[in-house]
Amino acid sequence: MMLLRRLPTFAAFAALTAFTFAGPSWATDKDVLVIDKAEDPPTADPGVEVSNNGYTLIFPAYERLVKYDGAKTEVIPELAESWTTAPDNLSWTFKLASGHMFDDGSPVDAAAVKYSFDRVKKLAAGPGDMFPTVKDVVVVDPQTVKFELSAPFAPFLSALATSAGSIINPKAQEHAVNGDDAKAWLAEHSAGSGAFKISAWERNQQITLDPNPHYAGKAPAFKQVIFKIVREMSSRRLQLENGDADLIDQVPVDQAEAMKSSAGVVIESNPSLYVVYLYLNNKKAPFDNPKVRQAISYAADYKGLVDGVMQGQAEQMRGAVPDGMWGHDPQGMQYSYDLEKAKQLLADAGVSNLHISFTYSQADSAWEPVGLALQASLAEIGVTMDMKNVADTTKRELVAKGDYDIATGAWTPDFADPFMFMNIWFDPTKMGAPGNRAFYENPKVTDLITQALATVDQKKREQLYIDAQKITNEDAPYVLLFQKNDIFAMRSSVKGYVYNPMLIQVYNIADMSKSE
Amino acid sequence: MSLISTILRRLVLLVFVVAGVAIITFTISHLIPGDPAQLIAGDKASAQTLAHVRQELGLDKPVTQQFVIYVKQLLSGDLGQSLRTRRPVAGDIALFLPATLELGIAALVMAIMIGVPLGVLSAIYKDGPVDQAARVVSVAGISMPVFWFGLALILLFYVKIPILPGSGRITLGIAAPPRITGFFLVDSLVAGDLKAFWSSLYHLILPAFVLAFANLGIITRQIRASMLDVLQEDYVRTARANGLSRSAVILRHALPNALIPSVTLLGLAFGDLLYGAVLTETIFAWPGMGSYVVSSIQTLDFPAIMGFTIVASLGYVLINLAVDLTYMVLDPQIRELG
Amino acid sequence: MAADGIATSPRPASRLRMGRLWYRVKGSPLTLIGTAIALLVLFVIMAAPLLAPYPPDKISLSARLAAPSLQHLFGTDEVGRDLFSRVLFGARASCGIAFAIVIISTVIGSIIGCLSGVVGGIVDTAIMRLMDVFLALPALILAMALAAALGPSLFNAMLAVAVVRVPAYVRLARGQTLSLRNRTYVKASRSFGASPAYMLRWHILPNALSPIIVQATLDLGGTILTAAALSFIGLGAQPPTSEWGSMVSSGRNYFLDQWWYVTFPGLAILISAMGFNLLGDGLRDMLDPRLGGR
Repeated sequence: MMLLRRLPTFAAFAALTAFTFAGPSWATDKDVLVIDKAEDPPTADPGVEVSNNGYTLIFPAYERLVKYDGAKTEVIPELAESWTTAPDNLSWTFKLASGHMFDDGSPVDAAAVKYSFDRVKKLAAGPGDMFPTVKDVVVVDPQTVKFELSAPFAPFLSALATSAGSIINPKAQEHAVNGDDAKAWLAEHSAGSGAFKISAWERNQQITLDPNPHYAGKAPAFKQVIFKIVREMSSRRLQLENGDADLIDQVPVDQAEAMKSSAGVVIESNPSLYVVYLYLNNKKAPFDNPKVRQAISYAADYKGLVDGVMQGQAEQMRGAVPDGMWGHDPQGMQYSYDLEKAKQLLADAGVSNLHISFTYSQADSAWEPVGLALQASLAEIGVTMDMKNVADTTKRELVAKGDYDIATGAWTPDFADPFMFMNIWFDPTKMGAPGNRAFYENPKVTDLITQALATVDQKKREQLYIDAQKITNEDAPYVLLFQKNDIFAMRSSVKGYVYNPMLIQVYNIADMSKSE
Repeated sequence: MSLISTILRRLVLLVFVVAGVAIITFTISHLIPGDPAQLIAGDKASAQTLAHVRQELGLDKPVTQQFVIYVKQLLSGDLGQSLRTRRPVAGDIALFLPATLELGIAALVMAIMIGVPLGVLSAIYKDGPVDQAARVVSVAGISMPVFWFGLALILLFYVKIPILPGSGRITLGIAAPPRITGFFLVDSLVAGDLKAFWSSLYHLILPAFVLAFANLGIITRQIRASMLDVLQEDYVRTARANGLSRSAVILRHALPNALIPSVTLLGLAFGDLLYGAVLTETIFAWPGMGSYVVSSIQTLDFPAIMGFTIVASLGYVLINLAVDLTYMVLDPQIRELG
Repeated sequence: MAADGIATSPRPASRLRMGRLWYRVKGSPLTLIGTAIALLVLFVIMAAPLLAPYPPDKISLSARLAAPSLQHLFGTDEVGRDLFSRVLFGARASCGIAFAIVIISTVIGSIIGCLSGVVGGIVDTAIMRLMDVFLALPALILAMALAAALGPSLFNAMLAVAVVRVPAYVRLARGQTLSLRNRTYVKASRSFGASPAYMLRWHILPNALSPIIVQATLDLGGTILTAAALSFIGLGAQPPTSEWGSMVSSGRNYFLDQWWYVTFPGLAILISAMGFNLLGDGLRDMLDPRLGGR
């Protein structure tokens, strides 16, 4: 048959193409850095973006008034040269350093600072919540800008170092359509003074960054940085192992364990402030009884979760403020895995034949194994727990409405201050979506955290927060599981990466380089 | 029934379908708990911020009013804005659809290239070993979980014996051809970029094969059945009796006639393609509609889900209409039967 | 399964067909294999607790991701559950759900289809237009939307796939009804004043049954796949239920190092879907002389 006769030709063609393209493809260039990301960043707009995935682009493309000092959570000057605070803590004046320029060559001045902060406020999307007390931004002279606050806000300086504090070129406004303040344009372009600028963005495929020729700092080692969107973890890993990628984002613990033996691959695993915990619905029986909440806390196999599920790449929590943040109590009380005690507590509380649900999503891969382990432990003490896997937005909505028994949570601080935990998790005015997702209220705790927010002295604040944690540990509104390591992997040829717990998924590509 | 009345009837159906789909998806999107505002403003957004975002999205209006607005937008071709990508859904679909179509067409071509000869052979050697083997292959194709088959092939041909790429549309480092049609194969040829062409073709092999394998069985069976029918016809027997060679009779007389009923398969294949693409694209990191809609479903990005559903159903109806019309033109008998 | 359905029918004609059926099954090795697989699946569904060496939900965080061995024939998963036991129990969820879906959609579809055909007129038109709308919806998408709306669970996935499958049966049953309606004996009984219900019960349903049963058997394989696909994208079975699709889904994160995790549940899907497809295929060839009789 004719088709059959043609087959050899086709086979020869296939073999030929295989030889041409096969093998561990090209070795990536020394001055090109290839990073595989799991998801396309939603936007690169500092006025809108609230995900670390978006911060990956925003941090290298923009500069802020202040920045985190290398690996530390303290801030040092970036665009601002110096600053002063009024005695009443109600205004802050920043003097801008000269020489910083946007990627079009125009200087970063006080007007740009005002434009950026006014825009964040006007858009009133997530980043707006970072500066709840900023009343007005005043241009004093081209190099001086003054922030007026409606109330003293202790973590203000720290908040300026976040993505929301990025300074945008006011010329971006020329791209505004239908009064959107350039939201559509800035979603996929950059207009900053950082070391890089976004030069191309093919949705769901790749994003290319080119150096900003007007960058004030040292010129970066890379002529180009490419972010490839590769959803499957196994594909990301294979690309890294084959040398098709230099760095891959978001590596689950199991993969990290398996990749340790791969030649030329380095696993970066660093203690982070990312905590995994469970909300217990304090407003709903039986969790309105602290004894039942404590019983659940005793039914979690902390060691099994840390060693088994997290492969030792995590640490059991000790109070709400994680290790690595000031306000953490190294002597804080920890619950242990003790089913006898849990059973006793349930008996004391007078509950039996408990039937509860566990609401979770796949947004964090640890949630399902955590639920499975808890389900098995609870079954041993006569508690039936149903697993309810829902879309992440659905989980949030159910939690916000208090329509759950136990739900999963994960939390990272936006700025380096125990405020991010204590004044959010336990504040009765922030019940539901804003952060007090356990619907917890204890007047003594409320009093301590309110006092801490109004206090300026850090030592005094720290003591107040530690005192509050002593009570909340006892009340157990949440099951405090573990703080996990941030894990990603890169080729051993990549040099100069500095980890900062406040900058998850943000790579200091301006200072990194490749040997070979 | 005449061509024109068929077309008219189908166009009325089209209106029904779009209206039905719009109502169903809109209702569902308002039944599911989940605050789209939280998707945009983030996990820690304050109540005021959420309220502001909700207002911006028009979610503070009564549901009936929201539906009226949605329908009005729909009539002007506006599918709304995706919550996840923050871009117009219509734009997203235009962006991702070509990748899916390219994959689907490649798969269809592959399935036809393998399925037609296989079907012809099994009809000629009915009940022989070829027929039995073809039957096993086609049943395996229909029974294969695509998502698992994809993984297995990646493990085999990308990991263990690395001869084929396992993800993406083109080798990184080779620039994608300038976008004209969005089909990499076409665009790279237009641009005269052979390197990009080969690389795209090469990346198509595994995912297209996975998709093709699922449709292979259907095509083989159909060709086999209609070949068997045609081989019984008088004119084939006459041609054979007149001394024409066996292969000449099959290729020149039997096959063309046996292919006509297979035209209907194109409509079926399109439905399968959409279904298969959702899973195949996820496995192969293929940047098309399939991965787009899976991500949208996972994040409950309703404007995107609704837009996709409407476009997909429209496409389905139109393709089936085209197929039926072709069939009516090719085979006048059908026209009389209606 | 399908053979049972025909065998229990009291009509002599069916009994006759049953005898011929078995004669033909014996002659076709592929159909025999299909029958054997189908019976095996049924056996596993019933005997899973007796066959499984471990409870399917028994987790053991210290024995996670163990390779296949004598203790764990198929290895273990990421929380140390025995995969062999989970695959066995998975038959209940994965195939059980497929049975349920096919039965629901067959029954509902046949009733609507027969009614539509018998009653005719504007009711018929309305029903068929509605079915056209359902048919035009991409099946998986509708299933996903429904599963998302009602919340992901095995039951809701079942409902969703059943809804998607209904139009096919409506069309089939209606087509059968229309062709039967014009047969002389049906026309005769109508002229003697038989009610539509009577005709449906005594003339239409029994005769429309065999093609519907063949279609149902053929659909079983496809339904196993669709249900597994829904679970694979996280809209079907919920943990800790063992279900093949969701096992492949969680296993794909480990497929580079722990090949066994995705392999066995995937094979289970393939083999059982193949079994039902071969069986259905064989049945159809036998009952449809146009395709198989020659």
